[in-house]
Amino acid sequence: MRPESLAGLAATARAEVAAAVDLEGVEAVRLRYLARRDGELTVAAASIGRLPDQERGPMGRAFNAAKAEIEQALAERRSALLQTTRAQAAEAEWLDLSDPAVSLELGHLHPSTRIQREVEAIFAQLGYRVVEGPEVELDEVNFQLLNIPPEHPARDTQDTFYLTETLLLRTQTSPAQIRAMWAQPPPLRVITPGRVFRRDNPDATHFPMFHQVEGLCVDEGISFSDLKGTLEYFSRSMFGPDRAIRLRPSYFPFTEPSIEVDVSCFLCGGAGCRVCGSSGWIEILGAGMVHPQVLRNGRVDPDRYSGFAFGMGPDRIAMLKYGIADGRDLYENDLRFLRQI
Amino acid sequence: MLVSVAWLQDYVDCQDVPSARLVERLTLTGTEVKQVREVGQGLAEVRVARVAGLRRMPGSDHLWLVDVDVDGGGAEPVPVVCGAQNLHPGALVPWAPPGAVLPDGLRLAVRRMRGHESRGMLCAPDELRLGDDHEGILLLDEGAAEVGAPLSAVFPPDRVLELEVTANRPDCLHHAGVARELAAALGRPLRPPDLRLPARAGTPAAERVTLEVADPGDCRRYRAELVTGIGRATTPAWMAQRLRAVGQRPLHPVVDIANYVMLDVGQPLHTFDWSKMGGGAAPVAVGVRRGRSDEELTGLDGVTRRLGPEVLVITAADRPVGLAGVQGGAGTAVDPDTAAILLEAACFAGTTVRASARRLGLRTEASARFERQLAPTLPEVGSARFLRLLDQITGAQLHPGPVEAYPGRRPPAPPVIIDGARLAGALGLPLSLERAAAALRSLEFTVTVADGRLAASPPPDRLDVAIPEDLVEEVGRVVGYDQVPATLPGRRQAVGALAPAPRGAGLALDVACAAGFDEAITYSFQAEAVGRRLPGAGRGQAPVPLRNALGPQWAWLRVSCLPGLLESCARNQARSLERTRLVEIGHAFWGPAGPDQPTEPLLAALVDHVPGGGAVEAAERLRRLLAVLALIGERVGLSPLEFQPVEGGEPGWHASRCVHLSAAGRWLGVAGEVDEGVAASFDLRGRVVAAELRCDGWLQDGGRVPRVHPVARTPAVVEDLSVVVGERAALGVALRAVRAGDLPQLESIRLLDEYTDARLGPAHKGWTFRLVLRDPTRTLTGAEAHAVRDRVVTILSLAAGARLREGG
Repeated sequence: MRPESLAGLAATARAEVAAAVDLEGVEAVRLRYLARRDGELTVAAASIGRLPDQERGPMGRAFNAAKAEIEQALAERRSALLQTTRAQAAEAEWLDLSDPAVSLELGHLHPSTRIQREVEAIFAQLGYRVVEGPEVELDEVNFQLLNIPPEHPARDTQDTFYLTETLLLRTQTSPAQIRAMWAQPPPLRVITPGRVFRRDNPDATHFPMFHQVEGLCVDEGISFSDLKGTLEYFSRSMFGPDRAIRLRPSYFPFTEPSIEVDVSCFLCGGAGCRVCGSSGWIEILGAGMVHPQVLRNGRVDPDRYSGFAFGMGPDRIAMLKYGIADGRDLYENDLRFLRQI
Repeated sequence: MLVSVAWLQDYVDCQDVPSARLVERLTLTGTEVKQVREVGQGLAEVRVARVAGLRRMPGSDHLWLVDVDVDGGGAEPVPVVCGAQNLHPGALVPWAPPGAVLPDGLRLAVRRMRGHESRGMLCAPDELRLGDDHEGILLLDEGAAEVGAPLSAVFPPDRVLELEVTANRPDCLHHAGVARELAAALGRPLRPPDLRLPARAGTPAAERVTLEVADPGDCRRYRAELVTGIGRATTPAWMAQRLRAVGQRPLHPVVDIANYVMLDVGQPLHTFDWSKMGGGAAPVAVGVRRGRSDEELTGLDGVTRRLGPEVLVITAADRPVGLAGVQGGAGTAVDPDTAAILLEAACFAGTTVRASARRLGLRTEASARFERQLAPTLPEVGSARFLRLLDQITGAQLHPGPVEAYPGRRPPAPPVIIDGARLAGALGLPLSLERAAAALRSLEFTVTVADGRLAASPPPDRLDVAIPEDLVEEVGRVVGYDQVPATLPGRRQAVGALAPAPRGAGLALDVACAAGFDEAITYSFQAEAVGRRLPGAGRGQAPVPLRNALGPQWAWLRVSCLPGLLESCARNQARSLERTRLVEIGHAFWGPAGPDQPTEPLLAALVDHVPGGGAVEAAERLRRLLAVLALIGERVGLSPLEFQPVEGGEPGWHASRCVHLSAAGRWLGVAGEVDEGVAASFDLRGRVVAAELRCDGWLQDGGRVPRVHPVARTPAVVEDLSVVVGERAALGVALRAVRAGDLPQLESIRLLDEYTDARLGPAHKGWTFRLVLRDPTRTLTGAEAHAVRDRVVTILSLAAGARLREGG
């Protein structure tokens, strides 16, 4: 065996590679010459070790050159064939992917539920537990224990559905304050989401049924500033980090002091627009420090404990946040409405 | 409540304050300013004029040719074309002459309309920014001003604030009270009203009037003054202007002054014509008592109402002459000829007036104030103010008096005391007692500070301040809540759970949404009949009625969410939507009706409606629905959810396509295809598949903690198995039997295909299952795999009558 015959072998192999029409053919050539045990070049190389010293060097170099030559030819041919295959597949297997063309339909949460979940998540971060209260409530718990005796003017604004003399559909989630205090001594942090009912015929802004979320925090040393900080945290989490809040004195029979809370308009940033009625502020919730009599009604000692409570309407927040102009959409369950959320 | 800034100026300097600042300062006291209306701007060029005559423009069905007297001096009338329909000859109207510029910038000129000259125009309230009304021309009160005078003499420039006053603050329903808030908010001094009485003379009132209050619980104070010798006069322009500015119509002086005083210092007054009361030499017995059911009274509004024991009345010689705190009687009303009156300044019980007003269906400015419980000290303020103004305007003789019943007199309440640390702690704001005291004094509280404590007595008309927390609010709102820092409650102890309890219902909702169902929220009430048609999970439960429903369609609390969802489907069908899939999770109400609260189960309801769908595609949708239910069961840890076919059908559902749902032996609800007749009763075309199950209690304990089995790494044997069964064989029964069959090496079994084929023979169907067989410790031999497979075939044959299909 001479170095020239190795070069001849390589040339033959190269010709065979060039003649292969597919990847299998290329692989067959590779096996014929380079197979680990019985490839022709492999076999030829096996004898190199036995050659005298002066011949071993040139033969070794010739072997390496032949092997490299064949491998390069194989790689080039493979790559050329692959390119052809890809081009054919591109033609034969063309697919229109400009649109899925089939649809998997995802259902949507109701806007009020979506807001309610956001509210729950925000207050969960502050250590609040979610508890529910009954929708059919006692007049005593819905009104009287919240400092709203019969004939109290506050009942005017909460026209009520009655089941019996003493049973009603809750007009607010505030009775949950009483039930939460009954259920657990302070320290206490709960929120109660749910449906509430007022005897109003439905129109764009009134509904016989809507949603509220009530919150209550009772502990030693709870101050008005804690209420303010909590509401600020909530408002920024819900409406954006740049929001400011404004606390306006107000009146609820079951809190003292009582406030209404405005958030700086998240559409115009406070400059004034149609949504905020050009005032730059949007009213989002009512709140206050729990009235000492209400604490007593909840079997909590007002000389030792204090607390705050707040209530908000997920429906109203959804309307503001999602730009829902007519609240009736919330209860018609039109798919075209629901699917936008 | 409307207040005039010019009127407030009597009590506090505020006319120089820009509107935006007035709004902000007042709003931050707790009295929200809803709107500021600038009135009387640009009215100097508009003139008071009189309609001398009018006739239809020929050929028009709405235009009038009006002759307007614009100077009162007999000059030639001016022709104006007008489209309003409320004019009549003699009407006093605003006329904008050519060249005048209206408040909205419109410049008037002489125009010709259909060949008729029109010089200037007659104006509606909205064109003058005196209101929102555009229905007709503003008709001025006779005597409001001379013809030819500028309209600004009737409506001088002013700003009117529309206030929203909370129920606890009747003291903000009048100008002096609002001024007190404004003075504190602006840090400016407050001027008190002039309460000096004119001289008294003549027969003492007590010799002419006796008083009896039947129940002190209804009337804490009744103060009457006798006034005679009232002269003829007109309401002075300044008073008429102010009354008009806040939306009142001036009538004649006695009535106007009473009205004015109510809006000025807050005491509703009533004036009885003394001669119509039977006043004379013999004393008149005036009483305050409840009405009787056989009595009636015609009010000032001309309406005759039957009285009754809920209604408090004023009587003269036991004859009703007034609805106490609500409205006077027509028979004793003052008129322009009235020369003597009995003035009533009373303090009625708020709850009594509220009940009266509700029973009568009549709410008035007076009743709205009394309902909020006025202070018993207010009558003397109101009557003093009235008597002084009457004396000035008409001249009058005030008799020695008053005659008064004051059964509700109480010793002054002790001051409210709060210590400095508690005040600062409650607000979370370091605050000196001196600063707190100054804040309270600005609201006319009497304050002493000693030994680190503050003792404060509110002004007598502030009945809403009684406990230390009330002082916290008063100090807080004067100092400003914007001064309070924002803090979070210290986490001194762990409170509750840091995350909301994961709730099964919420997870079920997420699964349903992921499966393509949109969440609906339907009303909790429904018509009784609707509820009975498809009671869903509420089958057999008693519905609970409302006592005062909005209508029969909402008269009962729902026992199931399904009827509401079907109504929503119908709405979507009516709006041409192709397919409605809805899920609702909400409470239903299960009786019995009675003194106890009904149970409120939490239900998950799903519906899938395709208008025009048929039996075959409905079967497909129903199976998918069951699959969604199974996913929900799996997600909330109920798995396996079991579907038990209902023998003999279920009311409201398809006779053979209905299953009961249960898990671990507990009945949860029902699923199936809704009976076609029921669907049709909701106006639904085509087929509806639906399900409802109870989901209260799911995962309330945080749910089952999963225990993980090691994953076998040995190879599996995968085998497909085909069997033939009868056409009504139950797959659920078959699979349950296999899964219960103690085959540790059967990793899974699932249905690959269900099919019919003529070769299977009539009334038969084929099932092909895929079995995955594996032993966790070693590779199964062919013989072992075969043994498991044979065991499965045996179980299938026992449970479902299956036989191996040849070649299968």
